[in-house]
Amino acid sequence: MSGHVLLLLLAIGRRAVAGLLLLIGASFVIYLTVRTAPGNAVDAISSMATTEAQRAELMAEFGLDRGPITGFVAWLAEAFRGNFGVSLSTQAGQDVMALAWPAFERTLALCGAALAASVALALGGAILLGDPRPGQQFITGPLYVLTVAPAFVVAVVFAQGVNFLTDKYIVQGGYEPPIWHPLMGFVSASESLMPFVFAGVVLVASDGIFIDLLNALRAELHALRHAQFIAAVRSKGASILVHIARNMVVPVVSAFASRLPMVVGAVVIVEYVFTIEGAGYVLLEASKARDFPVVVGVSVLFTAVIIAVNICADILRAMVDPREVARGG
Amino acid sequence: MADSPHRLALFTSGAVVGLVLLLCLVALVVPYDPASAVDLSVRDQGPSAAHIFGTDSQGRDVAIRVLEATEAFFLPGLLAALLAVIAGALAGAITGYLVGPVREAVLWLLQLTDTLPRLVFIILVCTILEPTMGLIALVTGVLFIPSVATVIRRKVEALGSEDYILAHIAHGFPPWRILLYHIVWLQCRSMLVRQATFVFSYVLFVETALSYLGDYGVPEPDPSWGNMVAQAKSLGAQHLSPWLFPAIAIIITISATLAFGNLVARGDEEAAR
Repeated sequence: MSGHVLLLLLAIGRRAVAGLLLLIGASFVIYLTVRTAPGNAVDAISSMATTEAQRAELMAEFGLDRGPITGFVAWLAEAFRGNFGVSLSTQAGQDVMALAWPAFERTLALCGAALAASVALALGGAILLGDPRPGQQFITGPLYVLTVAPAFVVAVVFAQGVNFLTDKYIVQGGYEPPIWHPLMGFVSASESLMPFVFAGVVLVASDGIFIDLLNALRAELHALRHAQFIAAVRSKGASILVHIARNMVVPVVSAFASRLPMVVGAVVIVEYVFTIEGAGYVLLEASKARDFPVVVGVSVLFTAVIIAVNICADILRAMVDPREVARGG
Repeated sequence: MADSPHRLALFTSGAVVGLVLLLCLVALVVPYDPASAVDLSVRDQGPSAAHIFGTDSQGRDVAIRVLEATEAFFLPGLLAALLAVIAGALAGAITGYLVGPVREAVLWLLQLTDTLPRLVFIILVCTILEPTMGLIALVTGVLFIPSVATVIRRKVEALGSEDYILAHIAHGFPPWRILLYHIVWLQCRSMLVRQATFVFSYVLFVETALSYLGDYGVPEPDPSWGNMVAQAKSLGAQHLSPWLFPAIAIIITISATLAFGNLVARGDEEAAR
């Protein structure tokens, strides 16, 4: 038993180190992208309203006065301390992390909730639909066409639908509950929650995430139900529920982790449509204003979260499935 | 054996994809001048015999704009799909065949590319470099290499110990020929088609999304399904046709392309069993 725990800890350690290396590598790619700007990055990107002092500070911050490797090391050392420089134009002078982190928490909550809801709905659907039967294509087919559209298209159609039903509730840059409409009752109580609810619904119903999860989990469940060991458990007269549930943990966790990058992509635009000041919104605003320290900081944060979630998923898998540890994690 | 709903779905999606391809080719050939399309005498009209999708607030025919907007993503989409499929198949074959440090290094680079959040990275590139559709297609193609490579690598690893592959090795066929012809070409074609449809529809998504946001992508007055959908912001539910038709075009094109790729690959998998 203790041997197993030791192996597990070893696997966790190995995953953490690998994840850290990946993050450093990904940061290097992002850093190099900044350096590929034609001429001098600082001149090319932030031509407006940069003073000579700011310019020198930026050059030092991104190590542009040095070679790519030494410059990267200097930048990375600061980045690991949480220092991604200061915003140039969106909120000039503000520390990038102080600006981006609160927005990022909002985005994480939104992504996590939407993805968890998708997985839960897909799992429920997989259980309800049961084994594949002919004719079920007439349920899953239309569901596919309805949910495969890109998030911004779903968001636009959804927002227009809400506006049509409520006489302009979602207006450019904010929300304006009209005097009468079906949402009135609970909007006034928790007005700030509505954009998140809208965005969540759109994230679940777009980019094919739900239908993709439904198909994947149905296939897993089907394979599991017809596995030999389940037949053996059944013939013993024992309940198969625990065995099915335990064996579904790995596919569910994998499904969650592997679809996260897609949701991150979708959330950027959905936040913009519904004017939620999350990380995607901050990213787009900063990108428009050529505020590249903010863009770089947010990009690194998104990458870090994807890597962190993958590590957590790996650890969870290793804890449930001893084969993962035996394989060398 | 493919069942009949599968065949029906394959036929339907294939027909839609064929139609879209045909329209894309037509749009490439037919010239379109956004400035001369403006006709202020027929502004904000609903669908009619003269303008089947109606006209927008500048009196431009929505149907013609929906058709001409395919130019914005068609060639970039093909370029990205080709790049991802060719480079991904090569990387997959190499990592599936080799053992040792080279394999590990390539695998790590693939994993690294896969960790970058795609849209976020594309926005980063657009912020820093001149955001042309060619560049966006290139970046998208590179970002999709890992997913193609993973699929091919798994197949190469699975087939590597099959008897008929061992027989080929015993016959003295060179490894590159077994890898690229007997495994990648003969066994993975339909998977590559599926991956290509993923990449193509992602480029369509990125192009329309960026054009919708309005900073990168296709700027007005050039037509893009994305900047046409953006008209919803000002028009709303009062005047649907300028933004709803392009939105439907996006949904139909993406769902048919993805469905076609999935169904081709699934039909082949079932036939192989």
